[in-house]
Amino acid sequence: MEFAGRVHEGSITTQIVESVLKEVEQRKAKKVVEVNLIIGSLTFLNPEQVRFWYEMLTKDTVLEGSKLVIEEGEGTVQCSKCGYKGNFKYIDDSAFHVPMPTLQCPKCDGSVKIVSGKDCVIKSVKMLI
Amino acid sequence: MSKFFEDVVKADEGEVFDIELEESVLKANRKLADENRKLLNTHGIKAVDVMGSIGAGKTSLIENLVKLLRKRYRIAVFKGDLTTTIDAEKIKRHGVDVVAINTGKECHLDANLVQKAIQRLNLEKIDLLFIENVGNLICPAEFPLGSEKRVVIVSVTEGPYMVTKHPFIFMDAEVVAINKVDLAAAMDVDPNKLKTDVKKINPNASVAFTNCRTGEGVDAVVEALGF
Repeated sequence: MEFAGRVHEGSITTQIVESVLKEVEQRKAKKVVEVNLIIGSLTFLNPEQVRFWYEMLTKDTVLEGSKLVIEEGEGTVQCSKCGYKGNFKYIDDSAFHVPMPTLQCPKCDGSVKIVSGKDCVIKSVKMLI
Repeated sequence: MSKFFEDVVKADEGEVFDIELEESVLKANRKLADENRKLLNTHGIKAVDVMGSIGAGKTSLIENLVKLLRKRYRIAVFKGDLTTTIDAEKIKRHGVDVVAINTGKECHLDANLVQKAIQRLNLEKIDLLFIENVGNLICPAEFPLGSEKRVVIVSVTEGPYMVTKHPFIFMDAEVVAINKVDLAAAMDVDPNKLKTDVKKINPNASVAFTNCRTGEGVDAVVEALGF
């Protein structure tokens, strides 16, 4: 796939398309109707750019014209000290329009680890077999 | 044909199946990163990622780390860049093995490229590996390479908001070097404010103030890395 490898949305979308094509081949599918994707909220994948690459990379394949459904995967953290599991503690600084996420535990003075939200998963594919 | 049966699926069209894949796209890289880590561990090699913006001082930091550590460790350096080997040659002058990794157009190193570079090394002759990523504070956070520790370097010349703008890469770091502190007054940027920002985002990160032109403060990075 010669387009891939310019920004990481390009290489990731190439992998998505290649994985689906592999499944198509295994199942001898005629056409792909829909691809359901979960993009973790803590990844640096911009859904708009993934869509752009998807359209480019699926041209002249059985995926051409298929619907790409993108769902956001929730980002969660866990505290090793008090066991808190949930959202980040955000620090709201008026200088920024988005609050800043931190690895501080919102419940105690411990620190948290990211447990989900850093992945991009092809959840399911609808194909014509 | 009856209008009630317009939607009939014809035999030659096939049938639409909903197939659960649950396939992680980033897993492929993570798997390779785990392999890299195991391979390096087997040979007793410690690997350290060095990440930071373009011009933050990644190469200068590595040059200084090499100067301080080469008597105690046999060092190799992977130098990621888009298309040039300028920095790789700079590091090579310090008498250590350097493998230049050119990503072409890609904005980050990945575990696959690092695996290929590892194959170029004589693993029996190395104890310490520095991996300099492509200058970027965004994409490298997405692609672990298999290293044991991560250093992020940020310089005062990048302005006062570099840490706050890119929280996720600082979450991944064990050590943060705040570089070019000699220029802080001229830039009107307070290095202590940058340190406070790092500590807010990642309370466990060690922070060192450096001037990689003179080597000042790099000993604190060595100490923070535990070498």
